[in-house]
Amino acid sequence: MSDNREFIEEFLVESSENLDQLDKDLLALEADPADPQRLASVFRTVHTIKGNSGFFGFSKLGALAHSGEHLLGKLRDGKLRLDDRVAGTLYSMVDAVRTILQSIETAGNEGDHDYRELSRTLAAVAEQSQAAVEVATAPSTPAVPPEPSSSEPAAVEPPAPEPLTVAHAEPVESSPPQVTPPPVAPPAPIQPAAAAVAVPGSAAPNSPAASPPATVSATETTVRVDVELLASILDLVGELVLARNQLRSVDSDDPAVQACSQRINAVTNALQETAVKTRLQPVEHVFNRFPRTVRDLAVSCGKEVQLVIDGADTELDRSLIESIRDPLTHLIRNAVDHGIEPPDVRAATGKPRAGRLSLRAFNESGRVTIEVSDDGGGIAFEKVREKAIARGLVSAAEAAALSPERVLQFIFEPGFSTAAQVTSVSGRGVGMDVVRTNIEAIGGTIDIQSVPGMGTTVRVHVPLTLAIMPALVVRCGSERFAIPQSAVGELVPVSRDRSGPRIEGLADAPVMRVRGRLVPILFLDQFLGIRETTACREEGTVVLVRVDDHEFGLVVDGMQSAADQFRCRDLLDAASLSTIVVKPIGGLLAGLGLYSGATVLGDGGVVLILDLRGLQRIARLPPVAREPEAALVPSAEIADRYLVCGTPAGRRVAVPLADVVRLEQYQHDKVQVVADRAVVRRGEGFTPLADIDEVLGRPPGATPQTLNVVVIDGGDVGVGLAVATILDVLAAESPMQPTAATGVSGILSLGGIATEVVDLRAARRHVAIEA
Amino acid sequence: MSDPRIHHCCTFRIGDACFALPADGVVEVLRGGGLARVPLAPEGVRGLVHLRGRIVPVVDPAAQLGVSRVAPERATHLVIALQDDWYGLVIDEMLDVVEIPADRVEQAATPTTESSGDALIGVFAAPDRLVHLLDPQRMIHSLTRLRPQAPERQGVSHGRS
Repeated sequence: MSDNREFIEEFLVESSENLDQLDKDLLALEADPADPQRLASVFRTVHTIKGNSGFFGFSKLGALAHSGEHLLGKLRDGKLRLDDRVAGTLYSMVDAVRTILQSIETAGNEGDHDYRELSRTLAAVAEQSQAAVEVATAPSTPAVPPEPSSSEPAAVEPPAPEPLTVAHAEPVESSPPQVTPPPVAPPAPIQPAAAAVAVPGSAAPNSPAASPPATVSATETTVRVDVELLASILDLVGELVLARNQLRSVDSDDPAVQACSQRINAVTNALQETAVKTRLQPVEHVFNRFPRTVRDLAVSCGKEVQLVIDGADTELDRSLIESIRDPLTHLIRNAVDHGIEPPDVRAATGKPRAGRLSLRAFNESGRVTIEVSDDGGGIAFEKVREKAIARGLVSAAEAAALSPERVLQFIFEPGFSTAAQVTSVSGRGVGMDVVRTNIEAIGGTIDIQSVPGMGTTVRVHVPLTLAIMPALVVRCGSERFAIPQSAVGELVPVSRDRSGPRIEGLADAPVMRVRGRLVPILFLDQFLGIRETTACREEGTVVLVRVDDHEFGLVVDGMQSAADQFRCRDLLDAASLSTIVVKPIGGLLAGLGLYSGATVLGDGGVVLILDLRGLQRIARLPPVAREPEAALVPSAEIADRYLVCGTPAGRRVAVPLADVVRLEQYQHDKVQVVADRAVVRRGEGFTPLADIDEVLGRPPGATPQTLNVVVIDGGDVGVGLAVATILDVLAAESPMQPTAATGVSGILSLGGIATEVVDLRAARRHVAIEA
Repeated sequence: MSDPRIHHCCTFRIGDACFALPADGVVEVLRGGGLARVPLAPEGVRGLVHLRGRIVPVVDPAAQLGVSRVAPERATHLVIALQDDWYGLVIDEMLDVVEIPADRVEQAATPTTESSGDALIGVFAAPDRLVHLLDPQRMIHSLTRLRPQAPERQGVSHGRS
């Protein structure tokens, strides 16, 4: 049998496609039990499986398929009518066949399970109803074409197969030529088959087996290609693109060379586009199973659901197709189990008894969006709100202020479920967070909308491909790195002038305030050891990235400018976003957890792709609660917040938080006096220090052993205010009272205590005057 | 090629020592330079280079083999294939492709450095020099066992002979 391995693999692939087709056909038959073409198609599919299993000696499979074929023969000949019981039995058979095929694929044999009981049930169903049905369905009998000949299923032994049967798995053998269509190949897998999504009740005879001419053309125009081969073609095209780029940078006045270069350029572009396309597959490969899933769910939940599929021909990279299967299945389960109401409830609210579940895929701005939408009861915001409070995610007061959209975000929290009862289908509370994690793992995003009483829509946005993706190329020291664009939230320039956000916090835990969130900051140069001390603390760009539940800022020198990066315009996007081809870097470096791959830029340079999850983990960046916290700290309040400090002389003063660049701590002996100025060394520069008591016109207090320095804007490197203690950050409770005191801009009530606000201009002047 | 008694080898020089690797595993010889640095990479990994659509890690076996390190500006990269993976080796200079009769290969007289492990298969005395036969798989394996940021190994006595 080992010589047959190749044939068996072919047989497995085809059979699994045939089973998908079988599911579709059975669903269609439930809607229209007398559809003769469907019946014939189902019959043929099972017959093919039976024939092939006989050839390979899979006796259990053969016996099971035989029983199924017998039952289907009765159906096809009108001796039996397809009702729930018959359909249920046939579905059991399809599942059993699938199980056996899986076992053959993984273990190489049919497995230990005994299917004789199922075979007996199939036989019993076929025989029992016979008498009753013969009368009841008399009118429909003549409508069924006798195809293949009705005596044929009685041929118990699988006929001796011809070699052809193996190679193409065609149901050729022993079919009487006068009644059967020409030998029919199974559905070609690569062919997108535009209309091949079976929607229950769809009248289109889209089963390939039912329309021989179309199928013949499919076999003629498609071909199975090893995925490895496609990958190597893509690699070679990548090489060609590089060579093309180099060629274009060569100056030549020879018009012949120029013309040739142009031509190579055009062909390379077209070739690259085509090569990328070979990796794409229609999402139909995932959608295929859903009609069956929905049917089974609807039956087990006692609901009526009509599934509408749209855009199944939308294409996605084959590596992603599998990754979206589980998340989508989960969303569909949720929709049927929790979204769509039982028929009676729907009828009572004036909706049609059958719920409508719509599954839609479409291209949108270079990504693929898949939308799972139901017309059910929607999500109860209040329940979510209560649950969020109960689980301690927000306080009651905060929750009350949240918008419905914000409240919905809580369902993505781990272990969050609002289902009143835990059902076998869903509602175990391990749902949406896993869905979100899975989607984000492939660089996707997910959002949800819900209208109470009207339904819920979940949209999943995924990149077209993982092998090729848009990325931001950043500079850091002499190195360049690529950051997947899907993770990039925004770019924030950090500059020395006082406009815009700044990096604050203590040296070992820098943070940046972004619209009310305190986002942890990672200096990439320092972290990767590119430079000893970071050079971009005050002059650089913060790339805000988001990974799973974490958000953090990566400080880099800047973006790779488009002009440096490429000599050719067609490869680049305006804002130094480039489309990169992701290449593996091998076990030697992947183990570091810092880089997820590498890519080759247009200039031929190899650039590492940062593994943001790994960076976050290795740098142990603290998590930032994302949306909810943003809602809780409206940015408008920041202007009213003050850092309250104690001076060495024991006074209580405040500094507007908006002016605070960072807080630092120095040992007393780190303070140097340079040209009569007190300074502390920081990196390559010096920060001038002003004694807070002197700024306030008082004699300086005793210098403490450890200095707390509040660095405010000013000059190139800021101005440090040496204070004794940092007390708190508080919001102003009163308008500022003017005062004539030296170095004080006014008096405020902070924490119930009147506090002097330091006049920062005076502090800056203080430093400058001393100079 | 088919005669098991003859090793077809590419010979190359690192420092003053001459080494040989099976010729059928050699993918390409690249001029040095153009390496992309990998911050925080394991000791011994010099960087990445792009070759025919692949990103190839370039490793420096000098320390492992106990010979003096190649000056970066003179370095040549010898790319070898190990199963599906390619690795670049930093060497000084490519020499000839030679045929080495198996029965003329002798056990290495002295064990090489501890880190070189069992990479050295044997020694062949060519008319003008001593050729050290290497097992590519073992060599790469012992290199990849090195931990990130491992302390440098230098000054091991072997190599000058």
